[in-house]
Amino acid sequence: MNKYKKISLDGLIYQNPTFMLVLGTCPTLGLISSAFSSMGMGLTVLVVLTLSNMIISALRKVIPNAVRIPCYIVIIATLVTFARMFLEKFVPDLYDSLGGFLALIVVNCIILGRAEAFANKHNVVESAVDGIANGLGFTVALTLMGIICEFLGKGALFGLQIMDFKIGMLAKPAGAFLVYGICIAVFVYVIDGFERWRRVKANKLARENMLSAKEAA
Amino acid sequence: MTAKQFFKGEAFKCLIALLCVLLVSGVFLTIMNSLLAVTEQERFERAINKIYGKNVKTEAVAVENYNDSATIDEAYKVKDDGNYLIKATGKGGFDNGTVTCWVVVNVSGGTVKGIDKVVIDSNKGQSYIGYINDKFLSGFSEYKGEYFNPNEGFIKTGATRSATAICNAVNASIDFVNAKFGNVAVDIYENFDLTEYINTKQTSHEITDGNVVYHIKTKGHTMPSEFTIDVTVNSAGAITDYNIVVNGSTSQSYTDKMLAGILDKTLFIGKDFAGIQAILNEGITYPGDGKDTLISTGATQSNYLCVYAAAFATKNYDKCLNAADDGDENTEGGQENE
Repeated sequence: MNKYKKISLDGLIYQNPTFMLVLGTCPTLGLISSAFSSMGMGLTVLVVLTLSNMIISALRKVIPNAVRIPCYIVIIATLVTFARMFLEKFVPDLYDSLGGFLALIVVNCIILGRAEAFANKHNVVESAVDGIANGLGFTVALTLMGIICEFLGKGALFGLQIMDFKIGMLAKPAGAFLVYGICIAVFVYVIDGFERWRRVKANKLARENMLSAKEAA
Repeated sequence: MTAKQFFKGEAFKCLIALLCVLLVSGVFLTIMNSLLAVTEQERFERAINKIYGKNVKTEAVAVENYNDSATIDEAYKVKDDGNYLIKATGKGGFDNGTVTCWVVVNVSGGTVKGIDKVVIDSNKGQSYIGYINDKFLSGFSEYKGEYFNPNEGFIKTGATRSATAICNAVNASIDFVNAKFGNVAVDIYENFDLTEYINTKQTSHEITDGNVVYHIKTKGHTMPSEFTIDVTVNSAGAITDYNIVVNGSTSQSYTDKMLAGILDKTLFIGKDFAGIQAILNEGITYPGDGKDTLISTGATQSNYLCVYAAAFATKNYDKCLNAADDGDENTEGGQENE
């Protein structure tokens, strides 16, 4: 398999930071009561993650091993501060809706985790692809849960009121926790089912190949 | 270790690497800060956009405060529609916090005609501010020439103290616009005694057959908010009737802890100023929490505001009569316009 395809699929599905690795739970639970905030948070993390992966990858041979974590933190904090300035200047509504969670991206374990696990061992392009894939995986997961919580909890979608029926609890962090758990269960069930189907198909193909080889012999 | 060894060592490399990263980050953020900084003007324009949905031309107006329960932070005349846009911070919120609002005050012919819009700008320590919804804020559009009271005419929000702070901000904006651009409001209680805990702007009285009937609104204390109390004082300077219309205690549990004689008015009936003074032993000063006085029942501050209102009513009986004489045939107290 093409290595970029593998990196992308890992970030998006097989090692999805939200559903498979259960990372970045704090902003996930805090923000998924609004689809707009969830998507905004996801996209901000995507940008910060991609840039931090690229910078850390580019500097991996320059930064001594003993001070790599402080250096990574400084780089990530700089990028998050830049993201805050940018959002406050150009997207003030999103800046207001993200509130304190924006600054907390600095300590988001997805970003430091990818820096430590991937970016400091791979080249810049691979790290960028990994950042984009993981960021997209996080964004899609957050937006999906945001849509579910906002629709069922407020009867709205991206701020637009759609119906009067609502389950108030789902618009609160406790309800978000419930939705998060259900989404993880469904995601893991689907991925497991797909993997099982793929294994069965591969085994069947191998058996057929073996039989046809025997017949030919 | 020699200096040469140090400079060739791993520790020095680490130090330099970390310093370089810090330096580059610092320079980058300094440049970005100067490029992306949001100016006060931009913040103001955003607030205007939030209120009007478009940019409007405004002219800044000098700020003065005419109301103790809120502060006026900024004021503008909106050139497009002639309204006044006031940024006011209302006090008396939950846990002594504040709510800052933008208030659009509609003025015509020298008087406030209505409140076109109220938008919350920020708050301090108001955990339940999310309960203040658009329905509550739209309630301000029904202005009938009186001060807004969160306990009357508004839908219940579940955030009574935050609602009080918002009402205070709107009332202060009305006071400001009235005093600055409308007919000048005169506080007839300005020279009265014992006004420290009395909201003189929202207090009024009338004189009937030698009796003075007060409609007193107190200020809040540290914990309780404003009380509204009707007190009748007869020609002998003694209280003949005393009714708590709005109890400003923090919660029902504090109301229950109030002195029974205050709630059923027996503590005040027949007492003149000296009698009221005797309740507090040492004049009309607040005895302090935890002191052993008649009003130290676990709701001392609420009790004190009620006693203070009674003291205000009895102490100023003569001044009310004199004010009525000065005003010739005018026997109405409270807000008057020159």
